[in-house]
Amino acid sequence: MSSRKKILLKVIILGDSGVGKTSLMNQYVNKKFSASYKATIGADFLTKEVLVDDRLVTMQLWDTAGQERFQSLGVAFYRGADCCVLVYDVNNAKSFDTLDSWRDEFLIQASPMDPESFPFVVLGNKVDVGEERRVISSNRAQAFCHAKDDMPYFETSAKEAVNVEEAFQVIARNALAQEESKDFNPDFPETIPINVSGNESNGCSC
Amino acid sequence: MPPKLKTSVDHAPDSPPSPTASYYDMSDDSESEYSTIKHAKVDSGVKLLHAKSKVYVHPSASAKDNVAGHIALIQQKASSPRRESIPSSSTANRATNSSNLLLAWSPENGLSSETKEKYSKVEGSASDSPPKQTYLVPPPPVTTQHSANLGSFAFAVPISEIFSILSRPPSSGWWHGSLVVNTRAGESFPALFFHDSECESTQQHRKRLQRENFDISGQGGGMFWGGDQILTWLKQYVTVERSTHEPNIYLIDPTDSDKLSFGSGGKPTQENVRNVLEGKNKDEQTPQQKQRDQKEDPLGKALTQARWTLLEKFSQVTSFTRRTAESVANNKNIPPQVRRLMQNPQVQTVSDEFDSARLYLARWAMGIAEQSERERNRRIWTAKDMLKKEEGELGDFEILEMDAQGLSLADKRKPVTLKEWDSWFNARTGKLERTIDEAKERIFHGGLDGQDGVRKEAWLFLLGVYEWDSTKDERRAKLNSLRDEYIRLKGAWWERMVDEQGTLEEREWWKEQKMRIEKDVHRTDRHIPIFAGEDIPHPDPDSPFAEAGTNVHLEQMKDMLLTYNEHNRDLGYVQGMSDLLAPIYAIQQDDAVAFWAFAGFMERMERNFLRDQSGMRLQLLTLDHLVQLLDPRLYEHLEKLDSTNFFFFFRMLLVWFKREFEFSDILRLWEGLWSDYLSANFHLFIAMAILEKHREVILEHLKGFDEVLKYVNELSGTIDLPSTLIRAEGLFRKFQKTVEAVDKRNNFMAAPSVRQRNTSAPQENAGTSPDASVPSSPQAQIRAAVIGGPGKSPAAAAARRQDGGASTSGREQTVSDQLAAGMEQEKDKVVSSELRDLLSREIPKLHKSDVQAHGGGVGPSQPGS
Ligand SMILES: Nc1nc2c(ncn2[C@@H]2O[C@H](COP(=O)(O)OP(=O)(O)O)[C@@H](O)[C@H]2O)c(=O)[nH]1
Ligand SMILES: [Mg+2]
Repeated sequence: MSSRKKILLKVIILGDSGVGKTSLMNQYVNKKFSASYKATIGADFLTKEVLVDDRLVTMQLWDTAGQERFQSLGVAFYRGADCCVLVYDVNNAKSFDTLDSWRDEFLIQASPMDPESFPFVVLGNKVDVGEERRVISSNRAQAFCHAKDDMPYFETSAKEAVNVEEAFQVIARNALAQEESKDFNPDFPETIPINVSGNESNGCSC
Repeated sequence: MPPKLKTSVDHAPDSPPSPTASYYDMSDDSESEYSTIKHAKVDSGVKLLHAKSKVYVHPSASAKDNVAGHIALIQQKASSPRRESIPSSSTANRATNSSNLLLAWSPENGLSSETKEKYSKVEGSASDSPPKQTYLVPPPPVTTQHSANLGSFAFAVPISEIFSILSRPPSSGWWHGSLVVNTRAGESFPALFFHDSECESTQQHRKRLQRENFDISGQGGGMFWGGDQILTWLKQYVTVERSTHEPNIYLIDPTDSDKLSFGSGGKPTQENVRNVLEGKNKDEQTPQQKQRDQKEDPLGKALTQARWTLLEKFSQVTSFTRRTAESVANNKNIPPQVRRLMQNPQVQTVSDEFDSARLYLARWAMGIAEQSERERNRRIWTAKDMLKKEEGELGDFEILEMDAQGLSLADKRKPVTLKEWDSWFNARTGKLERTIDEAKERIFHGGLDGQDGVRKEAWLFLLGVYEWDSTKDERRAKLNSLRDEYIRLKGAWWERMVDEQGTLEEREWWKEQKMRIEKDVHRTDRHIPIFAGEDIPHPDPDSPFAEAGTNVHLEQMKDMLLTYNEHNRDLGYVQGMSDLLAPIYAIQQDDAVAFWAFAGFMERMERNFLRDQSGMRLQLLTLDHLVQLLDPRLYEHLEKLDSTNFFFFFRMLLVWFKREFEFSDILRLWEGLWSDYLSANFHLFIAMAILEKHREVILEHLKGFDEVLKYVNELSGTIDLPSTLIRAEGLFRKFQKTVEAVDKRNNFMAAPSVRQRNTSAPQENAGTSPDASVPSSPQAQIRAAVIGGPGKSPAAAAARRQDGGASTSGREQTVSDQLAAGMEQEKDKVVSSELRDLLSREIPKLHKSDVQAHGGGVGPSQPGS
């Protein structure tokens, strides 16, 4: 149960370079879009406090570099994730095709307890760009998400703030459900490294 | 099980769930249509003048009960005139206005997303005056009495009803600053706490103040905080007068008699004043009121129990001695609020959870101290200044004050001008008449002048385009042939692009790389004037940047990177490279020359971009060893935080601190690093210097991998380069001495020869099996790492074993094992081969075969290239 401790939800955002991961995060957290965000190097995260069904939780949104060779950031980075957001660009077929491998990569690295039930959310970004540029149709994306355990799917624009709030509400809710399912499972393996000083957990097990 | 939500592609914007959507329909000039609040209808709105987010009510002592909301200044249409008789004649005009104005607080979750959007638009407008465009929002329920407002903390009180505002800035014993609104009827609304660290607009404002004039003081003379902005809003419409008796009380539109009693004149008794000012104009407080006050101020109670003493930490954070901290505190440039904060060790916070606010404050305090320090010695920092202050764990280390030629250190740190540079060369032949070392030393310590163009020439030497011992004629010839070669390379990919040659796989790769370069160039250093403009149409109308346009320098950048992608097909373009090219191009502004200088730079940076990350891992591992050796206490702490992968330095090492320093600092930093004067891996000492600077904060405050990463990432833009360079040099000297001491000690013990790597050993043949020989040069070292990975794999351990000399006692193996097992003892310091390589001035470069094997490109295609 929630008890008194602050709930921290760890969310990992993955997807090819340039699909708009950093922009989506900034739109959601800072309500801003800038065309000149630098390409992400390494990893970073933003936090945001949100109410999910009257519960105040802190979302920690992890942003990553998208080029393949920066993928293996190490287990520390994925450990304890509560939800994984897969982003592609609706105007870029390649970025859609790689969703599967991003998903696999995540499952391997994070190795969640119950991979089937682990929450993913898929975002098709840059829907503000004209229809004539669009290469992945809604139907196709929905069919894909449906086939993968019905992953929730949103079409977003970080630029025009379309559906961003809505998508992250669902992300938060699913992450919270996942976080709570950990508590209910008595067999959940403690991934926290031997805690040397015996500090109380500060909500993040990484 | 997480609830699986329905796939929701079409979030139909045409059927919004909230009634507020109709406000969208109102045009900007619908001034006359907004209603008064009293008769609020759903189909009209009130005008939002100002808004600020992240203003909380703290209903209980537990932070989890905090309710986030917005404070706003709202204008409603003039209603029946109120209160005109009360204010004095001098304020009558504005008073009419003030009854139409409402100061409102509403909880975040009570706003529809459309309304929230408007709030954030209004909040985002940088100026202090209201936005030009009219934003209409649904009227909040008007309230003049808190007690009547059961169950909700929301209020909207006409300004004319406000008697005073109690302002409690963040530093006077309260972690979050707060405002309390006291009404003329004697009511007080719940305290509103400003969580400044979460509030974008406050942060922006603070940054602006800091940028424009290093003055972040607000209304009360202390650090600017969110509450100050509210008072600034109000001042535009009503008279806001600070009480002379209670400096934290601001009177709103005081009547003449109010002024007399509480303002600038009059002398009523303290107690009386306080009661009135705080809205308790009854003679005695009722028990309920007392209770409520306590409820509203849970922090007050909690504060006494808090463990974290900000001020005590503050003096440690700065890594200054107490004496220094005191002198900083007495510096007149420091805002009084901060001074008080520094002098008062009772300042405490209740925040013991993950909270970036305390990190923010710690860093902010550190910045202040550094700034005032700099202002005090308005001169170039010398090693002595630096070292006097470095009284931390590192102990004292010394830097020779004089070099061989008797140049004092201060002189050595003057930038090399074009005039000085030219004087090093023979006027006729153009041959260098100094030793290469002398030239490098000057550049290492002084850097190159940023104004006179000396960089343009000198960088070509530093980056290997020119040989140091070449003549003028040789250089001219070299440049000519390089220009031709650039054109040829560029032509090669151009042709292939036009003709769509190559295998399908190759063409796909090529298209992707082109796209990637395009995207990255458009987001690289756009704040630098030459890259900022968008004055020519994009050559490719299908580009996602077609609408934005481009400029000639961006196009040159793309061409150079595509050419590099062609030139080094084993590796190809990788993110981060555009960051490395931009400064070089900015200095040269000649694509062919910049390209070759960049290619020279890339020879040493190639290892950072290998697909298997082996080059990065080797450097992170070396940093790991360095911290173990020089600062075991910090290392131990990082171990507890699961942070000894040193991943938090990834970005800094990958692009050589490009994202941490200003562009102009990068130029200075890089030319120093390129000189390889002390070490070809001096960038690791820069990293260590940055880490050391913040060791106290890390030791005291950081509690997890995520916090370390965040903290280090956010150092970007805050690091002082000159002092960092000096600290890094000091660390290098200390490292050198430690290695010497270890070696000396080992010389007394057995088997000394094993531990000395023989740097002049013959190189192994390229391409032979890695097991066949003993790698010893830096190249071989990397290759060993590339092959096995420097991590925990058995192959890596084997590589290191060989490296240390497998034929003898295997001492290196013991070393590695010890390191891995974390059994390293303070007294028994060991020097790994990775560390020993730091003493080398030979640039670590990869072998072609290694790039082929681990690069991640598509490899050579044209026969004969
Ligand atoms: N038109 C449009 N462009 C976007 C959108 N989101 C991001 N971009 C642009 O796409 C590029 C890459 O965005 P970024 O957020 O850095 O992507 P990341 O590499 O996935 O983090 C940038 O030029 C952005 O300005 C969007 O929703 N619409
Ligand atoms: Mg990014």
